[in-house]
Amino acid sequence: MNLKWRVSIILGLIAASVWALFPRTVVERVKRNGEFVYDTVRRVPLKRGLDLQGGMHLALEVDESKGAVPDKSKAIDNALKVVRNRIDEFGVSEPVVQKAGNDRIIVELPGIDDPRRAQDVVQKSAFLEFQITDKTQALEKALPRLDALLKNTKVAANAPTTGGKKDTTNAGLQSLFTADTSKKADTSRTDTTNAAAGTAGGPGAFSKLVRPGQMPGEYYVAQSDVELVTQYLSMPDVQAALPPAKVIRWSSDTLSYGGTIYRPLYVLDAKPIITGEFLTDAKPNTSPTEGNIVQFTMNNEGARRFRTETSRHIKDYMAIVLDQRVMGRPPIIQSAIGANGQITMGGKDLQAAQDLALVLRAGSLPVPLKIADVTQIGASLGKDSIHKGITAGIIAVALVVVIMLGYYRFSGALAVAALALYLLYTLAALAWFSAVLTLPGLAGFVLSIGIAVDANVLIFERIREELAHGKTVRTAIDEGFRHAMSAIVDSNVSTALTAAVLYQYGTGPVRGFAVTLLAGIAASMISAIFVVRTFYMLWLNRSREAQQALSI
Amino acid sequence: MLRILHDTNYDFIRWWKVMAGITVAFILLGLGSLAIKPPNYSIEFTGGTLMQLEFTQPPDVGEIRSALDDAGIHGAEIQQFGSNRDFTVRAQNPSQVAAQAKGAENIAVTIEAVLKKKFGENSFKAGRTEAVGPRVGQELKRGAIVAILLSFLITLVYLSIRFEWRFATAAVIATSHDVFTTIAFLKLMHLEISLTVVAGLLTVLGYSLNDTIIIFDRVRENLRKGRKETLYETLNRSINETLPRSVLTHATAFAATLALLFFAGEVIRPFAWVMAFGIVTGTFSSIYVAAPVLIWIERKWPRKTGARQSSSTATPTSRTRRSPATATR
Repeated sequence: MNLKWRVSIILGLIAASVWALFPRTVVERVKRNGEFVYDTVRRVPLKRGLDLQGGMHLALEVDESKGAVPDKSKAIDNALKVVRNRIDEFGVSEPVVQKAGNDRIIVELPGIDDPRRAQDVVQKSAFLEFQITDKTQALEKALPRLDALLKNTKVAANAPTTGGKKDTTNAGLQSLFTADTSKKADTSRTDTTNAAAGTAGGPGAFSKLVRPGQMPGEYYVAQSDVELVTQYLSMPDVQAALPPAKVIRWSSDTLSYGGTIYRPLYVLDAKPIITGEFLTDAKPNTSPTEGNIVQFTMNNEGARRFRTETSRHIKDYMAIVLDQRVMGRPPIIQSAIGANGQITMGGKDLQAAQDLALVLRAGSLPVPLKIADVTQIGASLGKDSIHKGITAGIIAVALVVVIMLGYYRFSGALAVAALALYLLYTLAALAWFSAVLTLPGLAGFVLSIGIAVDANVLIFERIREELAHGKTVRTAIDEGFRHAMSAIVDSNVSTALTAAVLYQYGTGPVRGFAVTLLAGIAASMISAIFVVRTFYMLWLNRSREAQQALSI
Repeated sequence: MLRILHDTNYDFIRWWKVMAGITVAFILLGLGSLAIKPPNYSIEFTGGTLMQLEFTQPPDVGEIRSALDDAGIHGAEIQQFGSNRDFTVRAQNPSQVAAQAKGAENIAVTIEAVLKKKFGENSFKAGRTEAVGPRVGQELKRGAIVAILLSFLITLVYLSIRFEWRFATAAVIATSHDVFTTIAFLKLMHLEISLTVVAGLLTVLGYSLNDTIIIFDRVRENLRKGRKETLYETLNRSINETLPRSVLTHATAFAATLALLFFAGEVIRPFAWVMAFGIVTGTFSSIYVAAPVLIWIERKWPRKTGARQSSSTATPTSRTRRSPATATR
């Protein structure tokens, strides 16, 4: 190949690499004073993985603990849209939401420093129903039957300990304790004999635990008995004896009455008058009288249905049920309601209202999701990793330079120049293909510095052999490159194949490693074979004495 | 011109029996130790919870433990990680893993809550949390094994095309040898088997294969020259001829590995250890596994045609059952 062409190609590659790596102004979501906003930032276009910049990785699966889901793949597809909407609303820079395999959703949220909240937003099913409270005193009628059923039942109840796990204070902790009572032995204290267990069974087992509230269908249960009542209600016999076409739901709030804390229990008409599917918008707000609220708007069809239904239920109480919990106290329907309504948040803070509005806007999850795995990495840890990785890289380069210069002298200098181009090309390739640089990837990159010179070493040793056979410098260089080629190609291709397998089977960080390895192999072949060869040609053309002796 | 090991003529393969003894002993030691106690798999593979906590004040490890025990998280491993304010908490018991089947975050949430209660709301920060449900771990384990086997298969096919099946088989056997020695090394060093370590293992395989290919490439070339010598001699010659290259490349690769080992931090250290050992075992297997195996294969299935009949056909049949080392004496 013409020498001019070779030089132009190398210069062209350098220009392209520098351009690919040049800091540029991009618009992305960044955090300013704790708020995510769109802003312009100037940065080197190299993507850092979660382990280097901090953030959160979640794998979500269909939760089948509350009933089997027939077509999981389809359910995941539907859930994916909702999760994606919610993440977009949540406002994270460059989030990843994708389906993995048949039944899993991968969510990656760079820079998230409140993992609990992110988790909540992703997982909340946000199924909104409007149900009328029971006016027929159905529970009172069923009470004798329930008491009779429970008379002989001894329940080894683990009522909440006096530490007072007020279950709304910590959603995650609460889900742990209510998720499955049989697992409780694992997590709650062992002092199981408590007042609630003592009151289990006996005459009036159920009726003594519930007292009528202030509106039809409302009952109060002392906070200390909530656990026990929940257990009773989950027993199959009890469920069969409950009034038909009614559902029983807990309130999300508690109230204090005469020094005791009560949690309201509502008996509701099972058929909701309307669900959240007609919702078009939801906004958080603060009202002076009701505290934090979420105001919502329905579309035309929803508004029409809502108006019809509410006009039939004037003077009734309407419970707003979110994920099977009654939000606030059911308001009385004064007149027909149209497109707009509101949900009171009780004592919860504005952020809870914001998050609820967010999930309502994004739609409800078609299936409940559970977390299959979660990794969260702090931003400072990521910075520390980058810093250490760069230090290791600089030291590796220094050592390799010393070895190559010490052993091959002038030719070693050519190899070092080629190594510099190798580093440039590899980084540029990573930036160009928007590959994600992870911590193992960084390690692989540092390691590749040591291995990248192998091709040069092979060539140089070959040239030395040819020189030893008495060939001229020019011939020795030509023959050296020619003979070393098969070894270089075979060894690099087989490494590339291994890297490809790693890419296919790896996840997250390991995938980043494979990408770095592949980019490194390509760059090292270009720099060692093409670039160094060109350097030699330039050098041979320039000086006559070069043709006499080669420093190698 | 600075030269090391130039124009050498060592009889490397002569020592193959001793070397085989050493490597078999090492592998048996490792595997035996595996039989007694299973290896440490990381959270990614077993499922469980790992939290790296940065405390503002050096905490009392006993208090961390008692707080966890009170919350029913028994047998968690609490380790200092760097400074005396950094700790990792690892809950990997089967019961804890099972509890995460319902939601992987459960244990992590509990740990954070009980420690906040014990030490105060702002007493620590979770620098890193990994929580993996049981199913994910099993899938990863299967994935890692499939990846290793698949890379073997692909290598075998590629080398069979570029060389021929005898070379390909010998190279793959040498590489599998490295899998075993590296696993033995991991076990004897009490290194945890994580995804990053598996990536390291695959890199070692690639590196070792490289090394074998460089030597085999020379063998292929020397065979074409059609010297009057046995395969045994050709192999020795090729190893000697590629010796300067091997020394140089291993030196630069080792330099980069040392930089990783000492400067890249705790997370990368296991990977660097695997790589450091891999350079040694990869070099070893190219000479003492790949070469003797190739000689053995040639003897068992001699090639019938070709520019040069292989050495084994030149070897008297009475010697076929002997070792390659004695075959040329």
